[in-house]
Parts: sequence; C-alpha cells; structure tokens
Amino acid sequence: MPLPGVGTLVANVSGMRATLVPLLALAAWTLPACGGAEHDLVVYASHDKEHSEPIIKMFEERTGLKVHAQYDVEQNKTVGLVNRLIAEKDNPYADVFWNNEIAHTIRLKKMGLTQPAESDATRVMPAEFRDAEGHWVGFAARARVFMYSPELLAERNTELPPHVLAMSAAEFAGHGGLARPLTGTTLTHFAVLSQQLGRERVLQWLRDSQETELSYTNGNATVMKRVTQDDFPWCLTDTDDAAAAVANGYPMKIVYPHQTDEVRGTLLIPNTACMIAGSKNPEAAQQFIDFLISPEVEEYLAKSRSKQIPLNPGVDLQLSSEELPLPYRDYEVLAVDWEAAAEELEAVQGEFQKLFIQ
Amino acid sequence: MHPLLRRPAVFQGLAALVALGLVIGPLGPLLLAVLRGDAITQLGDARVALVFWRSVWMAALSAGLAVLVGLPLAILAHRTRVWGAELLAMLTPLTLLLPPLLMAQGWNGLTGWDGLWASVFVLGMCYAPLPALLASRALRTQSAAAHETALLMGGRRLALREMVRAARPAVILGASLAFLFSITDFAVPDYMAALGETFGVYPGHVYTHFRDDDYWSGARAAAPLVLLCGLVLYLGLWARDRWGAEQIGSERSAQPMSWGKHTTLASVLAWALLGLTLLAPLTRIVYELGVAGPEAPGTWGSRAGESVQAALDRGREDIGRSFRNGALAGALALLLAPVLAHVLVRAKGWRGRLLMTLTALPLLAPGVGYGMGAISFANRPGWTEFYQGTGLVVVVFAGRFLPIAVFLLAERFRSVPRSRDDAAVVSGLSYPRRLIQVFVAPQLSAWLLAAGLVVVFAVRELDLAILLPGANQSAAVRYFNALHFARDGFVAAFGLLIAVLLFLPVMAFAAWNSLRRRDD
Repeated sequence: MPLPGVGTLVANVSGMRATLVPLLALAAWTLPACGGAEHDLVVYASHDKEHSEPIIKMFEERTGLKVHAQYDVEQNKTVGLVNRLIAEKDNPYADVFWNNEIAHTIRLKKMGLTQPAESDATRVMPAEFRDAEGHWVGFAARARVFMYSPELLAERNTELPPHVLAMSAAEFAGHGGLARPLTGTTLTHFAVLSQQLGRERVLQWLRDSQETELSYTNGNATVMKRVTQDDFPWCLTDTDDAAAAVANGYPMKIVYPHQTDEVRGTLLIPNTACMIAGSKNPEAAQQFIDFLISPEVEEYLAKSRSKQIPLNPGVDLQLSSEELPLPYRDYEVLAVDWEAAAEELEAVQGEFQKLFIQ
Repeated sequence: MHPLLRRPAVFQGLAALVALGLVIGPLGPLLLAVLRGDAITQLGDARVALVFWRSVWMAALSAGLAVLVGLPLAILAHRTRVWGAELLAMLTPLTLLLPPLLMAQGWNGLTGWDGLWASVFVLGMCYAPLPALLASRALRTQSAAAHETALLMGGRRLALREMVRAARPAVILGASLAFLFSITDFAVPDYMAALGETFGVYPGHVYTHFRDDDYWSGARAAAPLVLLCGLVLYLGLWARDRWGAEQIGSERSAQPMSWGKHTTLASVLAWALLGLTLLAPLTRIVYELGVAGPEAPGTWGSRAGESVQAALDRGREDIGRSFRNGALAGALALLLAPVLAHVLVRAKGWRGRLLMTLTALPLLAPGVGYGMGAISFANRPGWTEFYQGTGLVVVVFAGRFLPIAVFLLAERFRSVPRSRDDAAVVSGLSYPRRLIQVFVAPQLSAWLLAAGLVVVFAVRELDLAILLPGANQSAAVRYFNALHFARDGFVAAFGLLIAVLLFLPVMAFAAWNSLRRRDD
C-alpha cells in the first residue's frame, strides 16, 4: 500500500496547522489560570448556592476580604465537603465550614477537625443551638414537618398522622411518604429519634414501616415533588422543601408535628458554622462566622425562598404566624442533646444502611 | 535528523510516563487498597452479593439495549438515505452531553415510569450513542467494494448484514463502554428506586463506604466493581479481536444506500430511535422550563424566560470555568492520545488487550475514589498553589478521561493498513512525522472528536468537581446543587444551556466537515 500522495499530505498537514492555531490561543487564554486565586479566607458551604453565594459576596463587600468559596450538592451519589474536610485533615485548606445541618459538624468536632470560635456574637445565640466549648454555632434552622395537599387529603377522605411515628399506622401509611434515613436531615431526624426513643424501637419501626405502603424516596425534595404531583397527599420533609413547593405555586400546607404521643415538639435542625482546626486565617474566619449568625443574615435567609427559621434573638421579622410560624411562639420545639444525637447517628447509620440498601 | 527522533520507543515511553504521571497520584492509593487482598471476599456477604449481581445484569441489559438502539441509528444515519440523515447524525451524540439524571427525570415526567426496569431503560437510552458513535466512524469508512458487492449479490438485506459486520468490532467496544458507564451510575437507579419499587445497586454500596472516615473502606468496596469492569473490557476487546472483521483498506468509501420505496418507513424508524435517545426526554426538559403549580404567577412562557435568564445570569461564570478546565484537559489529551493509541494498535493479542484494559483503569475507578486519591496525593505543605489551582484539575481530568480519547483514536488507527506505516518507516520519516502523516492527519476529525469527548466528560463530571478546590466553582456543582434544592426551571434551563454550549462546537465541526466533503 503506497503512502498518501503529496497533495493529500499537504492538505492534511495544513488542516492540522489550522487546528493547532486555536489550540495555542486556548492555551494562551487558560494557562495563566493554572495557579490558585488569591484569597483571604476559604469557606466550604453546603447550603443552597443561590442563597449562600450572595451572602458570601455581601461579606466580601463589607469587609474587603476575598473569599474562596466551595460548594456542595448533598446528593446521595456523591461524597461531599465533609469527607473532603476529613481527607484534608493533615493539611487543612478550609477555614470555615458552613454546614446546612448539624450532625456532621459535631462529627467533625469529635474527630478533632474543628476549633473553638467564640465571640460576643456567638454567645448571643440560644444555648441549645451552640456548642458548650464553642466549636460550633447554629443559626437559620429548618423544621421537620408534614407537608400536605389539602385537596388530595379531602379527595382521599383521609387525615394527617397525628405525630411522626404514626406515619406507619395502617390508616395513614398508604397516603404518605418520607426520604430514606440514609443522608441529610432525615438521617439526623431518625438518629435523634433513636437516641430519644431507643435504638431497637426505631429500627423495629423502620422494619415494620417497610412492610406497609408508606413510600420511601431518595431525598426530601423528591418526596415533596411526589406530593405536588398528587402521588400521595402528605409527606415528612423539611420546611425549605415545603417552602419551595409553595413558591412554585402548589397549594400546600404545613403542619409542625410532635414525634410521638409522649415525645413532644417539632425537630429543628439548624445550619451550623465552625472554624476548622489549623485554619490559616482564624481572624477572618471568626469575622465570617459572626457575620453568618448576625440578625441581618438570618433575616435574609428567613425571607428567602427557603424560609429558614431564625434563631438569633435579635431578629424581629414582624411576620405573623400565617406568614412564617416561629418556634416557641407558634409550635413546640423538640429538646435535643445534639452531642448524644450525633454519637447515636454514628452508631446507627450502618443499621439504617442495612435496612435500606438492598 | 537525530537518530532518537526515529525511535518510537522514545516518544512512546515519554507519553506513557506523562500519562502515568497524570494518574498515579489519584489512582495509586485506590489500587493499593484493591491490592490489599480481601477485596473480593466481601462478596461472600449475601446482601452485598445480591446488590452486586443485580447491578451486573442491569448494566448488561442496558448495554444490550444501547446496542439495539445505537447500531440501527448509526446505520440509518450514516450509511443510508433517510430524511435529514446529516442532522440525525449530528444530533445522535447530543444525549452524551446531558446528565443521565436529567434524562431520567425527563422520562419519568413523560411516562411516569419508575423502578428497576425504568432505570435499565433510561441508562440504555443514555448510552446508546456510545455504540452508535463508534459504529458510525467504522461505517463511514466501509469499503465501497465490499458494500457494492453485497448490494449486487444479495440486495439491501446482504448490504445491511455487511454493514453490521463492518461495524461489529466498534459496536462490541461501544457495548462494553455502555456497560461500564451503566454499572457505575448511581444517580439514575437511585432516582428510579426512590420513585417506584426500592432496589439497591452496587455503586450505592461503594459510595456509602466512601462516606466513612476510612478511605480504604471505600476503596475496598470499589475493588470488585473495578475488577469486573476491567474483565468486561478485556472480554469486549477479546470478542472484537475474535469476531471483528478486518477493514479492507480502500481509497473509496461506500456511498449511502437508498431505501427506494421504503424511504419513509426507514426515515420514521430513524427519527423514532433518536426520539427515544434524545427528543422525547428533551421535550419534557424543555417543558420543565416553565412548569409550576396552579397558583404560580405568570404564564409558562414568562416563567421559562425567567429560568433561562437565571441560568445565564448565575451560571455564566461557572460554565466558563468548566469549559476552560475541560478544554485544557482536552488539549492535553490531543497531545498524548495519538501516541498511546498507536502503542495500543501495534500491541497484538492478549498483550494488546491487557494494555488497553490497564489504560482504562482511571475510567473504571469510581470518581469519588479518584478524587479522594487526588487529595491524599496533592494536598501537602508547599503544594498549596498547585492544589487549589487549575493545574491539579487539568491533570486529574486529563488522566481520568484520557482513556476515552485513546480508545476512540485506537479504533480509527486500526483501520490504517500496517503497510502504510511500514512504508513510512522505510522512507525514513521521524516518529512524530510518521504519526502525524500516516495516522493523525487522515483522522483529523476523530482526533478532534476524541479531545471533544474529554471536554464533554470533564464538564459533566460531578464527584471530582466537588472534591478538587480548583474545579468546585463549576457548572456541574451549580447544576446538581440546584437539583438538590428543587429549582426545577433553573435545572432544566441550565442543563439545556450546558448541552447547547457543548454541542455548538460539535455542530460547527460537523457542518465544516460536511462542507469539506462536498467540496472534495
């Protein structure tokens, strides 16, 4: 077989040259970006990017500090920022972790990956939502609620379960759902129940509920969507997911449930902020944490689409119970020993996985 | 000319060293964990074994479905005269640009299908473009003599059989790749299990273990999956070598076959197949742009407009960064892939297959394990600039997706007759010139497509984007973040925007190629 003709070769090689020109231009455009960007603070944020991003920008404008922010997605199929913090423990890159829940923050503290970050601002927060040793502080909570479609509930001639553990009762199970307790706030919720009601009781409840028609989904947003799609009339979810359904124009209502007849109160799960042990910018980190828990940011998050529940006593939203039900004023709050709950989560997580990953 | 320039081993060794350098950091810790020994024994646990074997047969069915749809689509679009064949050919790979989860949501919204079988179906449709794409490249260069002889001797039926025979090696490889991508996908089965009957898949087991503090636990859990994927790929290569038809070199490629009075039927079939892989779920995604509850203000159009505007406003910079990182990884692949592909093509028998399987290792490893390996390798004092910058991102992305480029090019290089390469050696060409003139320049479109696929997969990659500091502010993270927080309109708009931007260069290149062919 002969070599290609000279003409073909010239054409081919010319084509390659024409291809290489844009490639070289691309390299010239991109290579300067190969180093890291200058910054004064590194923040890992697992909150909704649409809200956390403007808050971080607001902080930059106020302080003149440059923040390198990293975001999470909290999907089942990925291992997020918590594991990255653990993987980076020998040479920490983050200064602050803004977690949209609490259990993993306490887990990080137990692993020695956080350090105290107390200030006048953190001491203002309610004692039940901050660490006694100052390693973390809670703010802008979500509540674990029943979201329901009044129309579908009436259509099916059924009612909401009177409390969380009544979900699996025969008269309610076929009409509702919840996320599997494998990640996120549902995992935290069932860890809290396990710690307060006893592990065996909760595991048995989960086993029994799997035999009923109660629907399990892969996340709170999914179960919320199934209610908006009229698959069933109610679900156990977070207030921010329920608020998203309402914001999207679905006529949904929210109820703040007790856990059982005896265990009273709705579970609140706060956002938490903590300073990473070995932070290279501790002063800027403290500034950022103080900013996050300020009444201004809590108000911003309360009025956002996700309707986070403010915990800072300095916040005065002047909103009615109809507009935004507030803890203690409008519903009872479940008292939680967060350290014990986080310990229970570590212990029981594997059992939940055995039940639900089959 | 310096004698070293004539020695392929110098360049091949250099390319292999660079490729090894790209992957050894992220892959090293994972492989060490695999080699610790007890990786397979975990399958002795009945629950783990059940999930593992379920994943195997689900992925096998998805791969089979991908071939059933992908091969006819490739034949109809590339080798026959159907309505809008060129457009059909251009649109076929678009599915690969869309995240499978978005397709799953599209199909569920459209049909209400859920559960295990829906997962098999969606993954089959998502990865049908892989056998289609590989087959199409083989079909385009089908020998005119072979095709015309078949047409004369046995009519369309024999001509079609001849096309299947010509495409068979590429299809086998495409099916293997569809199997690999299906068995490692967690998002689609997880989503479908959440909506319908509950079932677990093995990647769920792997990810759960990577959530633990112990990195080795995750790596150990991943080991059976990595080993199985390696085995499947090896067997796929073996089957290709065993049954693959050797392409007969021809200066003239076969012309598209006419369907005569069956043109309408063939055209409807072709577009129906594209409907399954792309158009139907895409229609639903477009509908999602403005869908809302009965109490939502505005019309569908106004809400869709807002979603697109939000995607443009908030996502623009992330998309720019994702493209820049992907383009740099693609550029690196452009340089390395031809040399490595040439090595693979020249290695024969079991050695060649083993080499190819080893080359694929970065792709077979779970993304999360690869990312954790990259952190444990690169996060060290004195390396901060590299760790937080684009440099690490490019190295990791290029290393992970280089096998795609290498495989695609190796398939194309295989069709170059050995005699042509030998003649180049005899004529005294240096190795780089020989590689460019004999292999790369005649396969310019495949070379660019190979790099393009690296860009596509880099832009789509989520696990690495979360774990690497320089990749975090990316389109993938913003997309999945919005998905998690149920921003349906934004998710649809942003997904479509990414797909369109990824597809524009492909469309432009295909159009340019088409014009060039007409000029010729």
